[in-house]
Formats: sequence, structure tokens, C-alpha cells
Amino acid sequence: MQVNLNVRRYDPLSNGDGSRQTYSVEVESQSTVLDALIQVRDEQDPTLSFRGSCRTGFCGDCTMRVNGKAKWACRLPVSKAQVDGEISLDPPRLVKEVKDLIYDQEEFLFDKYAATKPWIEPSPPTPAEEHIVSQEKIKELQEASSCTLCGMCDEGCTVLVIDKTFLGPAALTRAFKPVADPRDKVIERRLSELSEKRGMWDCVHCFEATEHCPKGIDPTDRILSLRDEAIKRGIGTPRVVRHNDSFAKSIKSSGWLDEARLAIESEGLTNIGGLMHLVPTAAKAMAHRKAPLPYLHKKRPGSKHIKRIFETWEKGSK
Amino acid sequence: MPRYDVVVVGGGFAGMSAALAARKQGASICIVTKQHPLRSHSSGTQSGINAGLRGTDAWQSHGLDTVKAGAYLSNQDVVESICQEAAVRVIALEHMGVPFDRNADGRIDQIKFPASSEARTCYCSDATGHNILQTLYEQVLRMQIPVHHDCSAVSLIMLDDGSCQGVFARSLKDGSLTAYASGAVVLAAGGMGRMYRENTASTSSTADGIAMAYRAGAALRDMEMVQFAPTALAPNGILITAAARGEGATLVGSKDSQVDSSGASDVVSQAVADSLATGSVYLDFKNVAPGRLPETRALMKDLAGIDISKDPVPVRPVMHRPIGGIKTDGYGSTGVAGLYAAGECANSGLNGANRLGGNSLLESILVGQRAGESAAGHAGSVGPGPDLASHLANEERRVAAIAGRENSSDSAGVIRRELASLMQDNVGIYRDGKALKAAAEKLTELKSRCEAAGVQGPATAYSTEIGSIIELGNMLDVAEVIVASALAREESRGSHARTDFPNRDDKNWLKHTVARGSGDGVELAYEPVTVTKWHPEGSS
Repeated sequence: MQVNLNVRRYDPLSNGDGSRQTYSVEVESQSTVLDALIQVRDEQDPTLSFRGSCRTGFCGDCTMRVNGKAKWACRLPVSKAQVDGEISLDPPRLVKEVKDLIYDQEEFLFDKYAATKPWIEPSPPTPAEEHIVSQEKIKELQEASSCTLCGMCDEGCTVLVIDKTFLGPAALTRAFKPVADPRDKVIERRLSELSEKRGMWDCVHCFEATEHCPKGIDPTDRILSLRDEAIKRGIGTPRVVRHNDSFAKSIKSSGWLDEARLAIESEGLTNIGGLMHLVPTAAKAMAHRKAPLPYLHKKRPGSKHIKRIFETWEKGSK
Repeated sequence: MPRYDVVVVGGGFAGMSAALAARKQGASICIVTKQHPLRSHSSGTQSGINAGLRGTDAWQSHGLDTVKAGAYLSNQDVVESICQEAAVRVIALEHMGVPFDRNADGRIDQIKFPASSEARTCYCSDATGHNILQTLYEQVLRMQIPVHHDCSAVSLIMLDDGSCQGVFARSLKDGSLTAYASGAVVLAAGGMGRMYRENTASTSSTADGIAMAYRAGAALRDMEMVQFAPTALAPNGILITAAARGEGATLVGSKDSQVDSSGASDVVSQAVADSLATGSVYLDFKNVAPGRLPETRALMKDLAGIDISKDPVPVRPVMHRPIGGIKTDGYGSTGVAGLYAAGECANSGLNGANRLGGNSLLESILVGQRAGESAAGHAGSVGPGPDLASHLANEERRVAAIAGRENSSDSAGVIRRELASLMQDNVGIYRDGKALKAAAEKLTELKSRCEAAGVQGPATAYSTEIGSIIELGNMLDVAEVIVASALAREESRGSHARTDFPNRDDKNWLKHTVARGSGDGVELAYEPVTVTKWHPEGSS
């Protein structure tokens, strides 16, 4: 079948002028987008650069935007990727372009992954037997570690758009694995390191990562699990704990969020410095009539049902 | 110019195992690799890793299965030592964090793979390679081992005394050449699948390690043995793991005739190829329990649009991995001072004429580790190296000459496609003298075209043109050895099936093919097979 690949060309020498090139190529009907790219490079244009290694969706190397949406080129048949006879190919968003479809994975993925110190300490040096672990637990670990560090979740992340130093869902998803691993011995140290700036608390749970993950790992849920684990162990700043308590209290009592009260209680009622910090923002919001007054918060209709949900849950978790 | 005790080329199972082992010995090391370790071919190995975990004698049946699957061409001293050590290695991997599947007691579960007499293969669902690779890389991070990725080794640094003291590597980032000088080198640079049209290999499998060693004077052993995997998705050749047959999937020929699914991959590949002559062959998953093989299910859905719980998958055999490779002992020594090899680029003597499913991961990790230890030990006895400036200048001139060729009428990509068709058609599952002779002639033509092939664009960052020409040269050199070795072995054994010599001939051919490069081409010699306790069936 005939297919037109419309490819972003980026030449580091000319500093990238946003040029594109269209290649028309006759491929086998079962070819993937990666197969088609390899064929173009072999037969038409050896200067075309792209990544792609295992060809089966295990190595995470060939992430690119296909018709605007991040995909693995190796797992997408050309027949499914065509829109009006054309397939447009670009590197992911948010990355440093290097050449054509090649981008800097080091900065985007590998460095952040390494920063989470994802290893467990093997001990003793020559163990005689394996650890006894339930199959249920193993399945959880395998699911988390099925992440290929392909970066698709980072590509969708809404925090990385404004703060490139955020660890991001890919690194945090991989960081979840040793935290969930009963063989690990330094979980508390991990959680406090992951609680530092640009870590797990910077996620805004927009669920874009979950939408983007090609393995169905649900990175957002992993990050929320990291937070649960941290709170359970009293790790993370007291501010975070106060924030959560206030959030829950507000919903339980009124059925919806008392935002002003949340801001005050998160800082802490005795934290004068923190409260003073809120004043300019509050003043500005008031000037724009965007600041509801705290504690003067109406209950929403049906709030008693929400309260009952809380009470049932509290009873069950005791 | 950096100098290390040990430089490891390649970042897959064998490379990272070697690096970790050498580091534990206190050696200064680095990994030089064409792609990031997490992107290596090892990631796609779904199957599992063999080890006799329970009982002190469990290794014995593992050894016998290995030797039988290898059609008695394995060196049995190597088989014994690897099978005996397998359990220790698997337990060590578990302690590093590999999430092996568990049985009801919470211990490592094992399944019975094709051609295995017992349930011996440890696995992580159907993504074993991916899980082990991630875990090894975590340990590489923990040990703070420098990894130079996007950096292709192009040749070994050989001194006048015949010893190897490092590698020259070309950075994809800027095209520059670096001499990574060292007391010893471990080649763990993977296989050569890209020289076949239909193959299960990653795009990086271009015979680099094998060719570099060969050109440096190392011997290649049993190169005619090229393994085909019986169950690749037809038509596009994506591998369906041997674990599928381990989990109960069966092969069905046309008119519902059964194709024996239980054998080793050489036997089953030949059976599938035979059945394809009269119709299609399918892999039927109806006996596989729901919930098993999740990765395979997703792969088949994406690439073939098939729900394997409902419909069988059309399959055909495709080239899977080399069995032959750089000749080593069971500890990675090549016989060239300072040069060690492990993994797909090496032939340790374990696999004979065909590899038992589940032994590949084991061999890569275990021999990789031993090679790292051997290399670290050797490096300790090597004094400070000589000044390599003139060596580097020579190598820079050689690579620059490629960049300077002006020839736009022929390209590495076009020539590689011709090579891949040639190997597929003439050096496939079945070979004969006529086809092999024709292949040898065509290879001569392709080699001279490769030497003239030019580059079209500037050698800017991440231009892959020069790299492709170097890779093609590697594949052509190694293809020549495969063809010469296959033409000389006038019998059929394991994965080497000659239609003009269809029978196994232990009287004349129970011996290893050993190839070396000479000025005139490939020089073949033969060496005896080491037999310790398992005598070939039919003889005493």
C-alpha cells in the first residue's frame, strides 16, 4: 500500500527552521509506522534520523507524535495511522529536539529516573533462597515495572508544561515499584526524598498521564499511592497533612470545598508567617470578588448523604 | 584519553552483568553502548530463565535437556558448570528485585518449556527480559557505573603484542571518535538478526561485536548454526514467545492437522516450514489459561488485530538469534589476551547446534558475570597502557574516509536489504550447497559495493549514515563466515539443515567449526566437542 509520511525535519546545524518533508513510500500492508520509517531511510533518504529498537513495544525507544498524538511507532500499523492518506510524525512535546524525530531522552527521562534511586539493596551477598512473596504482590510489582520509560505520560503531563524540573509521572511511576516492594528496606528514606520539592506532591492529578500510558499502568494512581504511603508513615510536610485533613473535613461537613478555609488551615492556624504569606493573594482575590469568606460556607444540597458516606467509610477503616 | 580497567561493550543482559561483576571486583569500568541499556534488545525477550532450583540434582536433567536440544554439539564441561550455577544466579537476581512469578507457597514458580523434561523456567509473566533488564539497570545506577550510550564501538584497540587494550567508539551525538583504553574488554554487543529479512531482532543487532573480534584475530565458532524461532506472527515476523507453547498453545496445520509443538525450536521450526509448503500454520491459544500471556495478547491485538482468546494466530518461522559466535570458554575468555565475550555475540559452548528455550537469558547473565570477573582479574595484571594517539589518528582517518566518499547511487540501506533477502532465501532454515555457493558469490559483490557506498548528508549530530555503513560492513563480514561454515558442514544437525545432506553424521561431523579471518577470506578449522557424561544417542 502507498503511504505518505509527513515528517518533522530538524537540522541542528541550521538550528531548526520548522521544515517538514513528505515521503511517499510503498509498504507491505502489515507494516508499522516504524517499519515505514526504516524503509524510507533505507531506500530514499539515509539522512532521516529517528529512534526505534525492539520493534515490539518493550523498549520504549520509538515514542513520537503520530498525527499529533504520542504513540509507539512500532505498535501502530500504518493502515490504522493514516488520515487522508497521510501520517504526520513529530517528536514529543516538551522535549529538546536533537535531529528530526530524535530528542534528548537523557534530560527528559533518564536523569529523572536515576534521581529517584530506583534500586533495592541486595542483601546478603550470596543469598541461599528467594524471598517468600505472594503472587498477588508480584503482580502489583510487575504491573508497575511494566513501564518502559517511553515518556508518553510525561508528554501528556500538565505540570511539566510549566515546570520542566518536576520529576514527572514516568520517574514517579518507576519510583513506586521499590516502595511497593516488600524486599526493600529503605522505604521511609525513599518517601521522604520523593517528598522533596519537584517530587510527588507537585502532581496536580489531572490524570493526563493515565490517559497517555500505553501500558495501562495508571501513573496518576501510582503517584497517589506514593502519597497515601507517605501520609500513612507520617512522611511529607505537616502542611500536606493539614491540607488533606482540612480538605476532608470541609467535604464531610458541607459536601463541597471551602477553599478559603483550606488555604488557612493548610498553612496552620498558629503559623503566623504562613498566614501572612496568604494575605496579598487573598487581597487580590477579594478585589476581583474571587475570594469566598472562610467558614461562611453553605452546605450543598444532599450534603447529609455525603456525610454518611464519610461515616460509613470511617467505620469500615477502623 | 580515558583509561579504565575494563570496558564493556553493550548494555543488555550480558553487558550489565559483566559490568556489575567487574565493579564488584573493584575494577574501574565503563559501559560503551550504541543505545541506552533500557532500549537494548534484551528488553524484548519475553520467555524466561532456566534453573534447577529444587534439589541438588536438578541441574543434571537441565544439562541433559541442553545437550539433547543442542544435538550433542555442546561442550559438556561448560554445560555442567552453567547448569550447576544457574540456581545461585536466579536467586541473586531475585534479591536484586526481579519480580519472578510465585507459586502458592510464595516461592519462585517454574513452567515447563518446550523440549524441557521438567518445569524449570522461571519467569515474570511474559515480560521476563524486560523485568530483568530494568533490575540490572537499577543496579548499574546503584553502583554508579558510567554508561556512554549513543556511542558505537567501531573497532578494538589491538597492540603489537596481540593483546586487546580497549575500543574505539564513535559518538552518535557529534560523530567524534574516542579511544576507551582499558586493561581488558568485554564484548557483549548482541547478535546479528538484521542481516535477515524476517527476524526477531532489535534494530541494533548488526553483528558489531562478532565482526570486531573476528577482524582482531579472535576465532568464531559454529557460525553455521543460526536459530529460527518457529512461532512468529505471519506476515510481519514479530516473535510470539516460546512461553506460549509452555503455557499450552499448540500448532495447527492446514486441514486441522497437528504440528508437534513440544520440541526444541530447530525441530519445530523445520516442522512449521514443512507444513507451510501445503498451507497455513496457526498457533492456537485455546488451552492457555485466561490472564496468562498478557503482553502477547496485547501485541497480537495491536499488530494483527487478533483476539487470541477467540482466534488462532497465523505463524511462520523467522530468524531468531545466532547460536554461533565469538569462541569463548565458559568464563568468557576468547583466547585473545584482554578480550572477553558473552551473550548473543559469543559462543560459550553451552548451546551446541541449537539452543534450549530459557537458556539464552541464563547464559547471557551468567557468562556475562563470569566474563566481567575474568576481565577484572586480567586487567589487574596489565601495566599502564601505551600512548594510543597514533592508533586513534589512524582510526580517525579510516572513519573520515567513509564520510568523504562521494557516491549517491548506492546506499548502505539498499545493500542491507539485498543482504537480508540473500540470507533469507539462501541461508535460511534449509540450505544446500548450490544456494550457499551462490550466496558466497553475491556476498563478494555486496562487500565491494559496501566499500564504495557513500554518504549523502553532512555528518551532523545524530546522522546515522556513517554508522549504517560501518554496521553493514560488520554484517557482511559475519555473513561470509556463516556461509563458509554452512557450506563446509556436510550434514544436518540442530539448526543447520542441509537438504543435500539431510542426516546427522556423528562419525565425521561431531566437531566444532572454528573460523578465523585471513588475507584470502575465511579460514576454517575443526575442534573436538567436549563430552563428559552424556554420550550421543546411538554411540557409546
